[in-house]
Amino acid sequence: MAKEDEKPTPVDKGKGKASDTVDGASAPEKDKDGKIIKDGQKGGLPAEELSEEDQQLKSELDMLVERILESDTSLYKPALEAIKSFIKTSTSSMTAVPKPLKFLRPHYEKLEKAYESWPAGDNKTSFADMLSVLGMTYSDEDRLDCLKYRLQAPSTDLDSWGHEYMRHLALEIGREFQSRLNDDKATDDVTDLALTLVPFFLKHNAEADAVDILSELEMIEQIEQHLDENIYSRVCLYMISTVSLLTYPDNDRFLRTAYKIYRRYKQYTQAIVLAIRLNDQELIEEAFNSTDDKSIRRQMAFLIARQRIGLDVSEDEDPELQECLNNTRLPDHFKALAKELNILDPKTPDDIYKTHLESSRTAGLTNTDSARHNLASAFVNAFVNAGFGNDKLMLTEDNKHSWVWKTKDEGMMSTAASLGMLMQWDVEMGLDKIDPYTDHNDDYIKAGAFLATGIINSGVRMDADPALALLGEDTNLANKNINVRVASIMGLGLAYAGSNKEELLERLLPIVTDTNLDMQLSAMAALSLGLIFVGSAQSDVSEAIIQTFLDEDRTKQLKDKWTRFMALGLALLYFGQQEEVDVILETLKAIDHPMSKPTSVLAEVCAWAGTGAVLKLQQLLHICNDHIEEDSDEKKGDELLQSYAVIGLSLVAMGEDVGQEMVLRTFGHLMHYGEANIRKAVPLAMGLISPSNPQMKVYDTLSRYSHDNDNDVAINAIFAMGLVGAGTNNARLAQLLRQLASYYHRDPNALFMVRIAQGLLHMGKGTLSVNPFHTDRQVLSRVAAAGLLTVLVSLIDAKSFILGDSHYLLYFVVTAMAPRFLITLDEDLKPLTVNVRVGQAVDIVGQAGRPKTITGWQTQSTPVLLAYGERAELEDEQYLSLSSNLEGVVILRKNPEWET
Amino acid sequence: MGANQSTGGGPPGGGDGKDKKDAKKDKPKYEPPPQPTTRIGRKKRKQAGPNAAAKLPTVYPTARCKLRYLRMQRIHDHLLLEEEYVENQERLRKAKAVLTATPATAGGDSDALDRNADERSRVDDMRGSPMGVGNLEELIDDDHAIVSSATGPEYYVSIMSFVDKDLLEPGASILLHHKTVSVVGVLTDDADPLVSVMKLDKAPTESYADIGGLEQQIQEVREAVELPLLHPELYEEMGIKPPKGVILYGAPGTGKTLLAKAVANQTSATFLRIVGSELIQKYLGDGPRLVRQLFQVAAEHAPAIVFIDEIDAIGTKRYESTSGGEREIQRTMLELLNQLDGFDDRGDVKVIMATNKIETLDPALIRPGRIDRKILFENPDQSTKKKIFTLHTSKMSLNVDVDLDEFINQKDDLSGADIKAICSEAGLMALRERRMRVNMEDFRSARERVLKTKTEGEPEGLYL
Repeated sequence: MAKEDEKPTPVDKGKGKASDTVDGASAPEKDKDGKIIKDGQKGGLPAEELSEEDQQLKSELDMLVERILESDTSLYKPALEAIKSFIKTSTSSMTAVPKPLKFLRPHYEKLEKAYESWPAGDNKTSFADMLSVLGMTYSDEDRLDCLKYRLQAPSTDLDSWGHEYMRHLALEIGREFQSRLNDDKATDDVTDLALTLVPFFLKHNAEADAVDILSELEMIEQIEQHLDENIYSRVCLYMISTVSLLTYPDNDRFLRTAYKIYRRYKQYTQAIVLAIRLNDQELIEEAFNSTDDKSIRRQMAFLIARQRIGLDVSEDEDPELQECLNNTRLPDHFKALAKELNILDPKTPDDIYKTHLESSRTAGLTNTDSARHNLASAFVNAFVNAGFGNDKLMLTEDNKHSWVWKTKDEGMMSTAASLGMLMQWDVEMGLDKIDPYTDHNDDYIKAGAFLATGIINSGVRMDADPALALLGEDTNLANKNINVRVASIMGLGLAYAGSNKEELLERLLPIVTDTNLDMQLSAMAALSLGLIFVGSAQSDVSEAIIQTFLDEDRTKQLKDKWTRFMALGLALLYFGQQEEVDVILETLKAIDHPMSKPTSVLAEVCAWAGTGAVLKLQQLLHICNDHIEEDSDEKKGDELLQSYAVIGLSLVAMGEDVGQEMVLRTFGHLMHYGEANIRKAVPLAMGLISPSNPQMKVYDTLSRYSHDNDNDVAINAIFAMGLVGAGTNNARLAQLLRQLASYYHRDPNALFMVRIAQGLLHMGKGTLSVNPFHTDRQVLSRVAAAGLLTVLVSLIDAKSFILGDSHYLLYFVVTAMAPRFLITLDEDLKPLTVNVRVGQAVDIVGQAGRPKTITGWQTQSTPVLLAYGERAELEDEQYLSLSSNLEGVVILRKNPEWET
Repeated sequence: MGANQSTGGGPPGGGDGKDKKDAKKDKPKYEPPPQPTTRIGRKKRKQAGPNAAAKLPTVYPTARCKLRYLRMQRIHDHLLLEEEYVENQERLRKAKAVLTATPATAGGDSDALDRNADERSRVDDMRGSPMGVGNLEELIDDDHAIVSSATGPEYYVSIMSFVDKDLLEPGASILLHHKTVSVVGVLTDDADPLVSVMKLDKAPTESYADIGGLEQQIQEVREAVELPLLHPELYEEMGIKPPKGVILYGAPGTGKTLLAKAVANQTSATFLRIVGSELIQKYLGDGPRLVRQLFQVAAEHAPAIVFIDEIDAIGTKRYESTSGGEREIQRTMLELLNQLDGFDDRGDVKVIMATNKIETLDPALIRPGRIDRKILFENPDQSTKKKIFTLHTSKMSLNVDVDLDEFINQKDDLSGADIKAICSEAGLMALRERRMRVNMEDFRSARERVLKTKTEGEPEGLYL
């Protein structure tokens, strides 16, 4: 007996599970089995197997059921009430079905029939009420009896039946709604019922259930009116973490609803983060203007500036606000951090290489190609001392000993441009330093100086627009020397990335459309426009680029290696635009040229970047299926196509934790089966998926690829190792790179790349990050992602670009560079030192109570560095943070209730 | 997996063959890297290294909700994508192999194309047989190691390339080629065979249905042991940690072991059983080691239930002792204390202990946190007695005159085991008289005998 009693337990448990379809499918079968066993046993075993109390309960229930089945209507009401009270009062364990339900089971069908025959009235609704509860445990899943009878009994007192019942009801409502939608039936009654469930869930710490049922019924907006002060933050947290797994339009609705809730509860900084995430200019402005609080507006301005959105405030307002929006104070903050960490002293490349730690037998054999070695040192110097405005190679007392003279040709250009990175963000000082180089006779140096001007201005905005004034001159943009022109164009792109500045359109667009110009110039102009108008779907630019592809005069040039940047420029315009890109894809299909397919793949992956959309990943994997063997020009496009698809995999998957981890497995397979063109893109894609986030599993794999037989794969893996550790000073990576340096000491290309990777690893002496995700890894910075993508695209054919003469393309990484610090300011924007706890962030969605948001924390005083996946919280409540997540620049306000 | 990829030969004739040829020409000139970058020879770390990349991410939150469902679905989708890609590639590869094979060996049958079987047989050839079992003493570099064979001498031998180097670590049991003594394989299961014996392969026949009464106890055990393994989310939602273990205590014959058997019968988790006295070993340190291994095996096979019967054999209160044997027993208990609530998280391992002398146990052993629930087994009351009687007599052929209520209503202090004894004794009486039915008289005399032997044990009042 006891054994059979236990049997239904797992079945019922399964039933209660929301959205557990597998259980749902198998449950009814078992259910029937359970019944059969029960019936058989009823005949076979005598009833005295039950204990006496059970026996009594059973006979009482049997009697009550008899009464209901009889015709005496006066007895109905008390009988029903009695049964109900039996059900409600039975305290069952978690492991078994409540006894009354068990005993009522055999009568269920009889009761159903009786119900049909009753006349409408109070008794009938009361009966339906009870049948609804019974229906939860007895009926087949697809009959949805629970809901059916519930709808016929408009009772208000639902929650007295308990939590399990409510959940089950919610499950059935979801199913019913779907089936009615399919049949085009009205759903009002179901939705009304659902709305009565929501307050119950919210009251009982089940905000997930509340959100689930509303999203199932496609009316998530309704949740706003049921919330209160205590619960809204949990609901919003749950909704936001669900967003990355939902498809359009659900994700959009979730975000907008959460945005509304935050605004309603005056969490403006959280609201504006969501607005930024939605990339909706109107919403951003609405949130920005929704409060008069000066400090909160400044805090919002910092958040907006972090995403590099250009926003202007009217003249008469707070001048500091515009400064916050323009990031003008960034260099001061950064240097304050450096001072606090005591890293102001410049580092030389040799401090980074630590050649004395490399295996000694290679010493003395290196420096075979000294100009190239010096060029690598220039890059390393630039990366390591980025933003500090102080170094030992470039900013020397007299220009004669400047490092520029130790390099040749294009090397001089890149070396001169490194000035820009050294003086990064500090526009006024920086321009002074660059000035001597701009009037130099040597065109390479001149070009480098222009590039430096662009780099300095990246990430900050000046009212005077010095970059536009200097670089936009016709003498530069239309200079005779091609390098000067390229540098000016590229500088403009870097300086105004993401700014949507219309003035630049008229200067750069003619360069794109002019068919007489070299492809390199037009492509760079297109790329710069792509960066400037990233994610805006600017129609003028896209038309111009498409026109270029169609142009007869250009067809010959389209085989040029630079064409890919033209394609990239087009793709960047549609960054994050999702469906909007389809127009362009259709147009590209019509173009019969090897470049059209790679272009459309690039555009598509950019459009879906950071969404984690599985369907897109599937399409990209299909592209990688073919093996290309013949070595012909037509196939070149297809090879590029597959390489882009591989990089696209990580671009699409990034930003969503599950997909990010899973796609790493896919890369393993691609490496195993893929041809050379796929294999050399895989390390790059792995680098892109976790920039500035040195996970052991990623760099271990990369370290293995860095010894690959295919030199291209090895070189890309080395760069990816640098990218993975960018700005972290990770000791293990540093060790691996040093080993690689001695392993490849006779391969100048690989050695050059090792040096670059070392420079990236120690970027900003370990204070910078190139991760495009910021503000608690919620927001994808389009500018940063675009910059990284540009570098990676150039590395697909490393030998013709980065390892060739166009190493200055590496400077595109500057758009992604941002300090990974936490600076606290008081309300007058003066630095304020407080104690904060810094620790590993914990995912607390859906956990009961108030769990800790960080783990393994250490207490430090601001300013502090935050590594990837780390979070900070204030140690005490002396100050209140105006921003919801302590990251970047945060304004603190004195807590009025604080007592010492 | 990865080691094969990067070393497994350059990809066949790709796009820019020229560059690659140059690279290949240069390659032999390179000197090997100064230190091997592979991580063999060191203690393997869990959740690190390239193998971790192959692991599936854990899904949070544990509560049932749409977020969890969506995340699981996302993993599922990705796995489908992978499967699709790998299947396609394998198909392409086979198709290509057919194309290249047909001109060379006409009519190459499809079996020969099955690379896996082919490779496996080749590896088997290289392994040779018979193989010897040895011990890895020290790893010299990627391909060489010092091993000791069972017969005694130590050798400096090479490691075959197909051996999984991640598994190799000093002290591991390895397979050796019978002639060259090179390492051809690793024996992974390093648990003591003593422990593997404890693993219960065949479930006992007793189920919950065979327990008369004890409803309260059954429910408590299930809540503490089975439910956390089946539905951890319930505890998560409530915000509590499920109990780690229970102790069953009470007079002899009240069904403690029986209940444990029923749990073993019912559960799908790994069930390990051990008797306290088994943990007392001849050699110093063997007892604690056994305890460690027991819990290690349990953690490997998690979810698992460890049942330690007669815990008082090792769990008595600590006291100052000069005898080495007693001290060793106490050390064994200390190890048990550590395993129950020590530094490492045990995860999905639940412990059931049984004793009939709970008062002698060390208080540290049964404090909350180690053993969260103490379940008392009492002698049956009237209704339970009836249940036990009906249970035991249900399969006996009884005469019509048998009325069990007579025994039930008597105020004897009967345990469950006594009742069983009465029933079987009565059956024996009937057998003696070659009757096929047990009658009331048999039961009466059986009761007399059982009660007599029971009181004999305790000479009441003799010395008072």
